[in-house]
Amino acid sequence: MTVRDRSARLAAALPLLLIAACGGSDGGSDSGGSAGSDGAAEPITLYTCVSDTTIQPVIEAFEQDNPGSTIDLYRAPTADLNARVAGDVRSGGLQADVIWACDPLTMQDYVDQDLVGGWTPETDVAADLRTDDYVGVAVLYMVAVSAQGIAPPQSWSDLTGEEYADGVAVPDPSFAASALGALGYFSQDPDFGIEYYAGLRDNGAVQVSAPDEVTTGVAEGVYKAGITNANSAYAAQSSGSPIEIVWPEPGAIAIYGPAALAVDAAQSETAKAFLSYISSEQGQTVIAEAGSYPALEGVPGPTIPEDAQIVFPDWSALADQKDTLLADYQQIFGS
Amino acid sequence: MAGARGLRGATAGVVGLAAAAVVLVPLLVMARTVWVEGAGLDDMLASPGLGRAVRNTFMLALAVTVLSVPLGTLLALGLRRTDLPGRSFWRVAVLLPVLVPDFVLGYSWLRAYGRAGFTDDLLGAHWSAVQGPVGVTVVVVVNAVPLVYLITAVGLAARAEPAMERAARASGAGALSVLRTITLPLLRPATATAAVLVFVLTLGTFAIPQVMGSPAGFTTITTRIYANLARSSDPLAFVEAVSLALLLVVITVLVVAPADALLGPRLRVTRVASTDPASASGNRTAGRWVAATGIGCYSLLAVGLPLLALVSTAITRAVGLPPSPENWTFANFGSVLTPRTGEALGRSLLLAAAAASVLVLLGGLVAALERSRSGRGVATLVTLTLVLPGSTLALGMLIAYGRWIGGTLVIILLAYIAKLWAIAHRPISGALDRLPPDELHASRVSGASPLTAIRTVVVRPLAPALLAAWLVCFLTALHEVTMSSLLYGPGSETLAVVVLNSTELGQVGATSALSVVITVLLLLPALGFWFLIRRLTRDRMTVTAVPEPVRAG
Repeated sequence: MTVRDRSARLAAALPLLLIAACGGSDGGSDSGGSAGSDGAAEPITLYTCVSDTTIQPVIEAFEQDNPGSTIDLYRAPTADLNARVAGDVRSGGLQADVIWACDPLTMQDYVDQDLVGGWTPETDVAADLRTDDYVGVAVLYMVAVSAQGIAPPQSWSDLTGEEYADGVAVPDPSFAASALGALGYFSQDPDFGIEYYAGLRDNGAVQVSAPDEVTTGVAEGVYKAGITNANSAYAAQSSGSPIEIVWPEPGAIAIYGPAALAVDAAQSETAKAFLSYISSEQGQTVIAEAGSYPALEGVPGPTIPEDAQIVFPDWSALADQKDTLLADYQQIFGS
Repeated sequence: MAGARGLRGATAGVVGLAAAAVVLVPLLVMARTVWVEGAGLDDMLASPGLGRAVRNTFMLALAVTVLSVPLGTLLALGLRRTDLPGRSFWRVAVLLPVLVPDFVLGYSWLRAYGRAGFTDDLLGAHWSAVQGPVGVTVVVVVNAVPLVYLITAVGLAARAEPAMERAARASGAGALSVLRTITLPLLRPATATAAVLVFVLTLGTFAIPQVMGSPAGFTTITTRIYANLARSSDPLAFVEAVSLALLLVVITVLVVAPADALLGPRLRVTRVASTDPASASGNRTAGRWVAATGIGCYSLLAVGLPLLALVSTAITRAVGLPPSPENWTFANFGSVLTPRTGEALGRSLLLAAAAASVLVLLGGLVAALERSRSGRGVATLVTLTLVLPGSTLALGMLIAYGRWIGGTLVIILLAYIAKLWAIAHRPISGALDRLPPDELHASRVSGASPLTAIRTVVVRPLAPALLAAWLVCFLTALHEVTMSSLLYGPGSETLAVVVLNSTELGQVGATSALSVVITVLLLLPALGFWFLIRRLTRDRMTVTAVPEPVRAG
């Protein structure tokens, strides 16, 4: 082998080395270990699916209140987040110290796999919004939207009426966890049942993927009304979209975003401090000011109409019913 | 010659190691996952939805290949005419879809032609089939045409034989028979390359079916994989996603391996071509305006109008308002452009340049090995990761290497290499076979070292193909979303991750603004490289314009 051969291979390896050098300096902190025995607060890793606009101010405020603590963030849409966790589990274990998910069913799956849970902070968050393994720190409300010139529905059952024939948009529960929460609530309430969806379908309702698409379609006049989440609807309305927002009878459906401590981080004081912070009044205020609905009662947050009613799905029952429920739903909206 | 054999052995070693690391290991860990955890898979395989998704995927790949290969070839032939009005402009314009990430393209078509879209606002007419299988097919074709065009144009530059075409014309052959009997047969390796790449890419395409097909109930294997990943906190859904990804790999093996084994040796033409800037073009007066109008209309409808619709949505204050001046705003851009965007852009440029450079090198090496059967085996092998949707390929990488390099740029780079290796390799391979082995021997006998011989005899005539491969890899890596979004960690956020994270997808205005921003950010480096390539191509052409004797193979 000649010297030139070797130099050619070295040249080929250079870009790799360059990248390794660049990535290496930051990558080392990603190991998520919680060995901080030297007194200084160790960095923790947070996995979440909540939006950047909410999570960035929360991290900033926490790091300010806890000098020396740092949080390494991995934020991604639910599908990517779930895939990342699944990949971690099969490659040496979960890298996160704290997971902040967007719905209780996902979190319950992680509890069932012994990835998170076993500890929750002292908090005043209502019992409807927590378990012994995780605590709700933000809430999504499923509400109804209607297009301009259409009478807004007063109750959920109005959507099966003639006034909304061939004009209701429903988000896909196998795509969006919030839509699955709504499906869970309706199926569990004896006044509705899964037949509610059959009624919507018979009335010509259309399924779309995400709640945001419902909002968009109604605003554009493609649909007369639809089921969507309150954040999406109020954001569109406040920027000028021509829609009406209703919290229908018997109530808007609450889907809470829970946070939990990783089992492997049971000794991490920073991770526990972060969980305590986001479920405290102070942390909840930051979350609310960033535009999410807080989980703690009494903390002022985004718009909730005076007389609005709120209902809760039975999540622990829903965890067991999920698969049959989705199968039943697909019988109706089949896709 | 011991030096040449040593070099060949070293090449085979490097390629073998790289292929094992980025292709075989991830595939094997995925197979192991299914093997260990796949207890409940029988139900999945029996589900009627799966059969429909497989059929949809196959038909889509077939239709897109059949439509995009002739269309891309037609564009390459049309733009080869030196007398075409506005030629240099159109040559850039037809490549625009390469710059636009595919989810942006799908989304912009919906904004342009869908219900309550641009044409609906303006003319009161929309195309309802744009949401569903027809729309998905058309947009995947639009997305694939530039790749076909690029490969065919490089093929034309590398192997067209104007002297032969002129001779045929002088002997009385019509323009069509010259095309049929001389130009197209010479292009066959390039056409076959394009067809295989488009077919495999379409099997694995995800963003366009997800954006345009899913709302209409049109599912493919990739959209099913995504639906499963969305539920993958449930281990069974995760295993189902991985199994479906492996199913795509199996389909690819069944299609590509026979194609490579059968077509590979047959398509090789050992003929020295001389390129000539004054290339033959048919009738100089008639037809040129027809060609220009055709290309113009295509570009306008396929890319121009959709991008215009995107910009119009991005600057409109709220969804549901008419896009008139009193509703214009830049607020949507403000929500997308954050201080972190600049930092991430630098990181993405570095990552994309490193990936493209490694890829061109690896692609060239595989092409060089392809004269042997084992070399063709490697060529098939590196096509397998091309078909994997980014999400599952990233998972394979994460499971294989996450414990050591998780969250770093290195793991993202490995994923890019795995995903784009075939895209780098096949165009180079399509142009390489015109190199006569004798010239390499001659230069070695005359005392050139192996590297000098390769640099002067091989690399120089291949420059357009190498640069085209580099450019496509660079741009694709620059706007890659799926894999980096799953693999990034602190300090390795790519441009796409930062921009995507800054907004909630689904909010129409912000999504459009983000699409416009990504497209513009890509346009700047792309135009720079485009001019560089044009300069290099022109220099090369003047160098090789000396006519060479035509040797029969």
